[in-house]
Amino acid sequence: MADDINEQASLFDTVLIANRGEIAARIQRACRELGLKTVAICSEADREASYGETTDTLLCVGPASATKSYLNRDAILLAARLTGAGAIHPGYGFLSENAAFSEAVENAGLVFIGPDAKSIATMGDKIAAKRTMIAAGVPCVPGPDTALPDDLETIERIAEDIGYPVIIKAAGGGGGRGMRVVHQPSALREAVTLTREEARQAFGSAALYIEKFLQHPRHIEIQVLCDTHGNAVWLGHRDCSMQRRHQKVVEEAPAPGIFEEIIRPVGLACVEACQLIGYRGVGTFEFLYEEGRFYFIEMNTRLQVEHPVTEMTSGIDIVQAQIKSAQGQHLELRQQDVVCTGHSFECRINAEDSDTFLPYAGVVTDVSWPKGEGIRIDTHIHKGYRVSPYYDSLIAKLIVHAPTRGEAMARMRNALAETHVNGISTNLPLLCALFEDAAFAEGETDIHYLEQWLTAWRAA
Amino acid sequence: MSRLDFSDPATLAALTDMLKAAGVDGLEITTPDTQVKLVVSSSGKAVIPSKAASAEPTSAATVKAPIAGLFHLAPPADREVFPRRVSADAVVGFIRIGHVLVPVIAGRAGLVTGQLAEQDALVGFGDPLFEIELHS
Repeated sequence: MADDINEQASLFDTVLIANRGEIAARIQRACRELGLKTVAICSEADREASYGETTDTLLCVGPASATKSYLNRDAILLAARLTGAGAIHPGYGFLSENAAFSEAVENAGLVFIGPDAKSIATMGDKIAAKRTMIAAGVPCVPGPDTALPDDLETIERIAEDIGYPVIIKAAGGGGGRGMRVVHQPSALREAVTLTREEARQAFGSAALYIEKFLQHPRHIEIQVLCDTHGNAVWLGHRDCSMQRRHQKVVEEAPAPGIFEEIIRPVGLACVEACQLIGYRGVGTFEFLYEEGRFYFIEMNTRLQVEHPVTEMTSGIDIVQAQIKSAQGQHLELRQQDVVCTGHSFECRINAEDSDTFLPYAGVVTDVSWPKGEGIRIDTHIHKGYRVSPYYDSLIAKLIVHAPTRGEAMARMRNALAETHVNGISTNLPLLCALFEDAAFAEGETDIHYLEQWLTAWRAA
Repeated sequence: MSRLDFSDPATLAALTDMLKAAGVDGLEITTPDTQVKLVVSSSGKAVIPSKAASAEPTSAATVKAPIAGLFHLAPPADREVFPRRVSADAVVGFIRIGHVLVPVIAGRAGLVTGQLAEQDALVGFGDPLFEIELHS
């Protein structure tokens, strides 16, 4: 594992992990390796979590309902105060991209392991984010970098200029919510009215924007790592096109079939954008990629679920690097030092009904994981673990690394075959079948491929 | 009074305890956005005590921490005096957060038989603090 970040006095020696599940266990491991103490928080539903046994302090902060525990800012800040934690790591989801929480943590005299409130707010507002990206030279989807006016005739003219199909999006939306595709002019007015109302209700802002709708794009990401002294690098790219209802199922690094000379300028532009906004910590720039061109869609100002595939190819422990950055340490890693080798896949193993894909709650009666070179399991479950109905259905991430994409696929096929989770229903059969698919093996499938493949697979 | 959160296992457990204690088989609660149906299994039913057994407890309950903080017993005179009878609204202890003391209410009338957390210990939300024997 590369260790290119210099040693300095720590600002904190105890980290409160404001999350649950596999990412809580992952962050705890990184802290321990850095010699930091940890405080694990839990809801009443997670009292038996395995990472509660290995943490220095475990504190229940609220009932099972996430709004009263993992999303309860006051309870988490109180837990930090009671336990003497000097920093809070938000993980992903929950409060990880909440600008007000980042600000509240810092106002309480603690370190937020993530970007400052201003960066989170800028990137959370899709219009402000796009404007920042254009200023930094990051390629964006055709469309204005301002909110749509109220006047429907003006909106029709803007859509004509972009060219149909277009997509109407809520400025405060994300994750596939608050957006509508319009294929012809006659459907535009209704789509704008509906999306505006949806945005008002769901995100508290009626601001909308419009972009060209790409028909067969791939989802490509660029991972960045920044310190608080203006140093930043990008750590290669990932392909996360295997999605179902905007939820990633399989991720890989590097993205297959994209030449280095095409993506390098994009990566460098991402680094420049980070320096422009004074970004700190880790972040991910998400792009749509179609016909050799990249189009920025959003930046995730946090650790990603799929960060392990980049760790496997770059050899850099992203979570440790993130914590060191929050400690104020200088990033000594330079861009030329970042060398990605081999190929990595990650499968998200979800507790879900194999027919309906609905989350599946129950007790894991037995579990066995594959072992061997180039295989990594990030999980919090064990024999006897009760999968709760209160939270998302991710129970494990199976990650493999091998010299080539073909070898990595073969390794994943074997690893999946050796994975057994009994007592609950999971998506393992789906993952096993997907890794036998010829088009996926070929690579470069688009973001719609999995939905189409699933239709055929379920019919068979 | 804040509304009950029926997605909270602690709330459901407390309701179930009350049903058992009252010897009620089931309960259905409907609010504008929630519907909850609790059915007490036959094994969980409260036993109607005979005259000879009238002093025997019908069930036990725990008093849990309402918030995370440092646990303190109620007035010094009460410390470690067990068992002692309490009313449902009795303050049996406190959770200290900085200079603030949050009262711990018994919640149920009965006999406090034991203390489950150490004085000044850090406790989390829902951690058990006292045992109470309930009488019908």
